[in-house]
Amino acid sequence: MKAVLLTGVSFVLTSIVVGNAYYQKKQFYPSVVYITKSNPSMAMLYIQAFVGVILMGKLMRKIFFGQLRAAEMEHLIERSWYAVTETCLAFTVFRDDFSPRFVALFTLLLFLKCFHWLAEDRVDYMERSPVISVKFHIRVLSLLGLLGMLDLYFINDAYYSTLTKGASVQLVFGFEYAVLLTVVWMTLMKYILHSIDLQNENPWENKAVYLLYTELIIGFIKVVLYIVFMAIMIKVHTFPLFAIRPMYLSLRGFKKALHDVIMSRRAIQNMNTLYPDATAEELQAGDNVCIICREDMLATCKKLPCNHIFHTSCLRSWFQRQQTCPTCRMDVLRMTRAEAAAPQQPPQQQQQPQPQQPQVPQMPQNLFQGFPGMPPMWPNMPQQPQAAPGTSGASSTTTSATAMPSSTAGTSTVGATSTQPTPTTTGTTTVPPIVPPMLPFMMPYGSYAMPRPPRNLAGVSAEELRAMEGQERENVEARLQWLQDIQALLDGAMVLINQYNTVATQTGIAGISAASFPLSQNKSDKKEEMKADSSQNSSQHTNTQGPGLQPTDKTDREDQKLDFSGLEGATGFSPAKEETIPAWEDPHEEEHNDEMHEVRKRRLQKFTQENPSGVKTEHKSQD
Amino acid sequence: MGTNNKRLKKELMEMQSDPPENCSAGLVGDDIYHWQASIFGPEGTPYAGGIFFLDMKFPTDYPFKAPTIRFTTKIYHPNINSNGSICVDILRSQWSPAITVNKVLLSLSSLMADPNPRDPLVPEIAKLYEHDLAKYNKNAKEWTEKFAR
Repeated sequence: MKAVLLTGVSFVLTSIVVGNAYYQKKQFYPSVVYITKSNPSMAMLYIQAFVGVILMGKLMRKIFFGQLRAAEMEHLIERSWYAVTETCLAFTVFRDDFSPRFVALFTLLLFLKCFHWLAEDRVDYMERSPVISVKFHIRVLSLLGLLGMLDLYFINDAYYSTLTKGASVQLVFGFEYAVLLTVVWMTLMKYILHSIDLQNENPWENKAVYLLYTELIIGFIKVVLYIVFMAIMIKVHTFPLFAIRPMYLSLRGFKKALHDVIMSRRAIQNMNTLYPDATAEELQAGDNVCIICREDMLATCKKLPCNHIFHTSCLRSWFQRQQTCPTCRMDVLRMTRAEAAAPQQPPQQQQQPQPQQPQVPQMPQNLFQGFPGMPPMWPNMPQQPQAAPGTSGASSTTTSATAMPSSTAGTSTVGATSTQPTPTTTGTTTVPPIVPPMLPFMMPYGSYAMPRPPRNLAGVSAEELRAMEGQERENVEARLQWLQDIQALLDGAMVLINQYNTVATQTGIAGISAASFPLSQNKSDKKEEMKADSSQNSSQHTNTQGPGLQPTDKTDREDQKLDFSGLEGATGFSPAKEETIPAWEDPHEEEHNDEMHEVRKRRLQKFTQENPSGVKTEHKSQD
Repeated sequence: MGTNNKRLKKELMEMQSDPPENCSAGLVGDDIYHWQASIFGPEGTPYAGGIFFLDMKFPTDYPFKAPTIRFTTKIYHPNINSNGSICVDILRSQWSPAITVNKVLLSLSSLMADPNPRDPLVPEIAKLYEHDLAKYNKNAKEWTEKFAR
């Protein structure tokens, strides 16, 4: 009623303005000039034009839509507000071209936009109200045809105007109408799909797939259009603030469409390949009715990982929309991934590069029984059963202790290398005091299984990515831990090499230079030594201590001095002990200073008590 | 033209042969996709004694998409607005094809008995429900008297 009144007032005022002009000037042309020169008259005419547009809109609505539904009206008003705001923002960018013509073009754009939205809503509604009259089809088709033609016309217009007159506001119109054209296409595709669905007696299973792909393609075109528009606008004019919101919306829409397509494809693929067909017994056990279609399950049925059974076709239709179990809402994709990930874990760990491996070749395998949860670091020693992760500290102590007697010179306890390398043959008796202080350092091994990122992030949902990031700290800590342990092993190896060198100098065998490792030779030598050692009874050489283990050890020093004088010419020999050993000491000393001090003291005592002539025993074993 | 939704037909038959307590449902015309349902106000709530009518529209790909359900009777409730639109997760994101008309009506009935003020559609009513239950009960009772009898 109010609108009618306003329209009436506007018409009356317009006729007064026009009548007044004509009354004053008497002729057509002078009166037109008079109106255009008079600001109040022009204002009145603009208002009249606006009213005219609204009336036109009402007429078109009546023709193409009839009565609008409440939801449609709500949508329309909501979107109009955004569009008006964006248009005002666009005015600021093109304030130089501001003219009545320009305003008129924007108004027309807005006007057409409204009809695109209405058409979209109306076609969406087809799905909800399946009884569709012929009138509806005619209306939708003619409207879509008209809108499409108008869009094309304006795109064409903008294109030629840009070509002939250079970049102007026409650029904006060109892109806006191009985007509207994609809307028309999308609406048309939806209309066609819905119509086909309605023609069929039974619900059309594949409709959702076609809809998904249409949305994906149109979404992609829209995103490309907006990005190109953005680039051109930034280059030619300035940053198009008014296009941000629609661009963001289209990006989000595209992302969602892409996600939907990928997820539904994956779920359906999983269903076809991973999930087992339900057996007859399983069907008998349940109530034998597919919860989706409420029909008996006689045709092929699939069992989800959560043990719920459905018709394959019903499940496929559902997975096209969502990827959850219809009964328990379990995320199907997540379930499958968790299952698939479990068996992949061990091989991934074995692939870890172990660059330090060749440098400690003489370390017997059973060293690593001292490391609870040590991953398979030594692929060339497969005969050695891995210590189970989480082996308790107590048991690791015992294993290393029992392993000791059979091993020899190089054996020492690498468990101890991190703190204190016991060189040469350490008898059973010497072991127990060494290990316990190590435990706090070694225990974390079990918990620091190195987390490996999946090679391909495509299969990881956003939540999982976030979860992975959340664990980043842990991962870094684990890596640091690894590096420290590797360093400890390397240091141990260095000490052993030094020992070997000193022993070698006494026995006259070629030693190794700490700088350049003649690895193979060294290895074989060591093996010989080992064999010789193990052939003898462990009790025999309980306390053979090679020199060079304790830089602080006086006897050791004396030995070394002696050796140096005699062995200058030995191949590969280099008197490097003094340099290498301090290098070994520093990284861990800081951390375990107290413990280490204790251990060292104790061992030193032991050493001095028990080993007045350890070198000679060692010597014998070489023969 | 015309479609054939077996599951919807089945549900209709079930609703008519074995209707649940406090609810009933049936077709509006001869369109299988357009139903009307009614819920009796649950006892012990301010809605007791009232009959609330609902308009249910099913999409053609039901049960893969949720039906659109609207209260046609005015109701004073934090999760139902003056248009009769209902804010329940099972009719939106949490829809599952395992949900039936029967279950929807039951959960609406329990929503009436136990509103969810943390996710309100009408914030004023939700506020009242949380802070001044007596006033909320009084208003809801008045509306029930006025519109649902």
